[in-house]
Amino acid sequence: MQLAVNIVVLASIYALISCGYVLIYRVSRVLSLAHGELMLLGAFGLFTTASLVSGSPILAVAMAAVLAAVIGILVYVLLMRRMTGESVLAAVLVTIALGILVRGLTVLIWSTQERHPLHVLGWSNASLAIADSARISAVGLAFVLVTAAVYGALYIFLRHTQWGIRMRAAGQNPLLAAQRGINLHAIYALAWALATFTAGIAGMLVACDNALDQTMVTIGLKAFPAALVGGLDSLAGALIGSLIVSAAEVLLIHYIDPLLSEVVPFAVLVAMLIVRPWGLFGSREELDRV
Amino acid sequence: MSLPRASGYFRSGYEQDWRLLDTRTQRVAFVAFAVAAVALPFVAGSFLLDLANQVLLAVIGAVALMLLTGYAGQISLGHAGLLAAGAYTTGMLFKEFGAAWWVTAPAAAVVGALLGVIFGLPSLRLRGLYLAVSTLALHFIVIYLGNEYETKRGFSTGVVIDPPISDARAWYAVLWAAAALAVLLALNLLRSKTGRAWHAIRGKEAVAEALGINIPAYKLLAFVVSATMTSVAGCLFAYYRGFVSAEAFSLFLTIQYVAMVIIGGMGSILGAVLGAIFVTLFPYAIEYLVASVPTPVAWANSLFAVNYAAFGLVMILFLLFEPAGLVGIWRRVQNYFLLWPFKRKPLATSP
Amino acid sequence: MKAFMRMAGVAAAALFTQAAAAQDAYVVGVTGAMTGPQAGILAPVVEMAGAYVNHVNGRGGINGKPVRLIVADDQGEPSRAAANAKKLLSQDKVVLLLLTSVSSTYAPVVAEAKRAGVPLYFAGAVCPKETYPPADALQFCSTAFGATLDSQAALAFIGKNSREPVRLGLAAMAIPISRGEIDYAEGLAKKLGMTAVDKAITPPPTPDYTPFATRLKEANPNWMWAWSPWFSQVRTYEAMRRIGWQGRYLSWAHLNAEEELARIKDPEFYVIGTNAFFEDNLPIQAEIRAVAHRGNVKYPVTYLTEGFIVGLVLETALRNTAWPPTPAKVAAAMSKLKVDLKGLRGGPLEWTKDNHFRTRQYYRVWHWDAQKNAVARVQDWQAIDVKQ
Repeated sequence: MQLAVNIVVLASIYALISCGYVLIYRVSRVLSLAHGELMLLGAFGLFTTASLVSGSPILAVAMAAVLAAVIGILVYVLLMRRMTGESVLAAVLVTIALGILVRGLTVLIWSTQERHPLHVLGWSNASLAIADSARISAVGLAFVLVTAAVYGALYIFLRHTQWGIRMRAAGQNPLLAAQRGINLHAIYALAWALATFTAGIAGMLVACDNALDQTMVTIGLKAFPAALVGGLDSLAGALIGSLIVSAAEVLLIHYIDPLLSEVVPFAVLVAMLIVRPWGLFGSREELDRV
Repeated sequence: MSLPRASGYFRSGYEQDWRLLDTRTQRVAFVAFAVAAVALPFVAGSFLLDLANQVLLAVIGAVALMLLTGYAGQISLGHAGLLAAGAYTTGMLFKEFGAAWWVTAPAAAVVGALLGVIFGLPSLRLRGLYLAVSTLALHFIVIYLGNEYETKRGFSTGVVIDPPISDARAWYAVLWAAAALAVLLALNLLRSKTGRAWHAIRGKEAVAEALGINIPAYKLLAFVVSATMTSVAGCLFAYYRGFVSAEAFSLFLTIQYVAMVIIGGMGSILGAVLGAIFVTLFPYAIEYLVASVPTPVAWANSLFAVNYAAFGLVMILFLLFEPAGLVGIWRRVQNYFLLWPFKRKPLATSP
Repeated sequence: MKAFMRMAGVAAAALFTQAAAAQDAYVVGVTGAMTGPQAGILAPVVEMAGAYVNHVNGRGGINGKPVRLIVADDQGEPSRAAANAKKLLSQDKVVLLLLTSVSSTYAPVVAEAKRAGVPLYFAGAVCPKETYPPADALQFCSTAFGATLDSQAALAFIGKNSREPVRLGLAAMAIPISRGEIDYAEGLAKKLGMTAVDKAITPPPTPDYTPFATRLKEANPNWMWAWSPWFSQVRTYEAMRRIGWQGRYLSWAHLNAEEELARIKDPEFYVIGTNAFFEDNLPIQAEIRAVAHRGNVKYPVTYLTEGFIVGLVLETALRNTAWPPTPAKVAAAMSKLKVDLKGLRGGPLEWTKDNHFRTRQYYRVWHWDAQKNAVARVQDWQAIDVKQ
């Protein structure tokens, strides 16, 4: 029972992080390798707002969330906009460089000390019993709920709103979409805003559940296999992929060897890539034609 | 390999096309460069010599990655894993059997070739980022195995190796030979059938196949050649630094090599060399610059973070404003002198 | 691009001019993880040591000469550490090299220092075996934690403080040095008649420690012992508590332990360490506060004891080195050193010809006292003699 809870919590963590990879990839075919750093930035944002408005934690969280989305727009407008049309690898390298810059800046501004935003907010991470034999932490529960809400909202957004449909169109065929009058720059900026927003939220939750320091960066990378197993351009795939990877991870830690947890996600990934190179739900890349 | 330029300089025979140095200026420049390279260890202090050695090591790895990514068009994020494989092969053979360098270096090459096949297999089905990530997965597996070896044998601070040579000048000579060999090998491969096949694959796979190129074989060959060179570079690294440890081959190292290839300029061996020089020396240059600006004592502790952030910032600016890489700058400078005193743009830019 | 060429010119000029600078100070070099993932527990040591050196210089230096501390950042990367060491040794001609970085940087730096014949002082980083007796002639270490000794002291404490048979759970992080220590503790527990029920090795960063905690909890230990970087120790503990584990947890007291005990507020969570906490209110701790304030060190003062001890050791070692200093003279001074730590540890720090760790290691154990609502000591200095 506890194992099932662990799988669900870990899967929501992976899913919340990986939806940012998917959002950016499906509109612009760029893989953002600054995702972990953007999580870090979001979490430091929460730490700062929590220190500023110490009275009302809800306000602090809301401010931090808005801040994360704004950062996403800035990243696009100042940086990624100029990389449109450049080779994908160069764009990926720009995100890597952005990551290095963000890491340096966070050390400069907030030093390398470990921080505890949850403590600053004045909340505590309670332990809740959900059955006789299973417990979940409050932040863990928040993770599950937030992930469900984010995926639900994204589903509605992409299926039933004008901007969502435009975003899908831009992802499917940018040229055609642009010619039909869709403002591609606005779409891309929106994708970056959404991705950074979810990354920021994920960062805040991880920082609340554990603590906030530079190791956050590598956590962003750990969600990577989950996004790929499901298919880099499918949100449903990211969800299922997260479940598969976290199930494999939790069960192996429990029954075989904790040390395997680092390799397993990538082993699952390699197995998946050999069988279905485009992932579980990803769209098959087009065939080459002369 | 030199490419025809827009200056109205033409070749009139195949023999000229085959030459690696085909003008007098190039030959003179090459000789001057060689003289400078030979003179360096006699004028430089040991720190500068160490930097030079680091650059030479990086050149081997960058050339290997350039063959794979810049020419054959296969993106790999497993470069640090391959370096680690070569280094661990060396470390293990040394620790377990006391093997000498003439055993470990070929062994590292063999391991590299085998890993090249393994790293390359996904490329038969995968393309672009998916391929990149599958090589990343292999990186983690190699590092995991290395880490297990270290822990099981109790080498808690890394595997220490006695290098066969310890003098920095001797190392400089050895690394020069290795780097020159790597560059020469790459240049020769590229102007042969193999290089042309890689070019074609990078251009368009379907067309390459229609031209009768055996795509799987050439893709695997690209991986094997690149992995072998990288693995030998890893072996040299292990001997040069005298140790091997998993933490020395982090993902950041891969990123550095990818940065060398892109900053240098895709599809150019000269670019790989320039990129290796730039990326290796850049953090030190930044450090010196920041240190040479007088700062109040109160800020002294923030300087390290400034260095770190500046590295990211300059890399971003570079990618935004000079997408053709260092080689692009080099070509512009060349054209400037070739066309002097006319400032007009060259009629056609080299590919 | 022009700007870059100019930059390169400046850099090259700097390279050549610095080497020519005359040596009119005790020049000491540091390679440390000032940035990078592990900087949180290493950078404070270097910053505080730097502040102490400034303080000493403000009082007129040592033997009438100032101390120049040159710090280079290696980001916890072995290659950068090696290059730093090379630069400090050959260009800055340091008479003593300090290493404050992760264990993977040791091998290359040790090799460089040995080649140059310069003593190497591990300050704030884990003490390698070579500093234990019989010590390597050129390697020294003052860092609080010491492999094997820590587990001996920890298991002795656990044995003394439990009436029922000990069922010991162990937690480590997936770096060789931590795993090695926990494997040692596992063997030691068997010798002491304890049952080692399970050990969990967590990867360096993981988003969720609950899966590891679940495994440990199901092995049902009544005591836990963890020896790894602070975040790994505490995250495992917190995850175990959250899924309802009731036992007692002992972990190593890193720099931030005192602050963290006050955050966690759990009487059953213990830390073992060798540096006095600020709850002692020693006169020397007021001095630490003053020196840190003057040096503009931005870390909380409770993080700074380790760095201050490094400063004290440096001062004593250099005072015993007559001007003009040479690496050999410094090494000789360090091989028979006795530093009065004024209560920061259980006794003086002593290095002898074949013991460059310390002749005696003193351990205290603290926890959070819920009644007094303060950090409290549960065991006073317990000495372990460091022998071969």
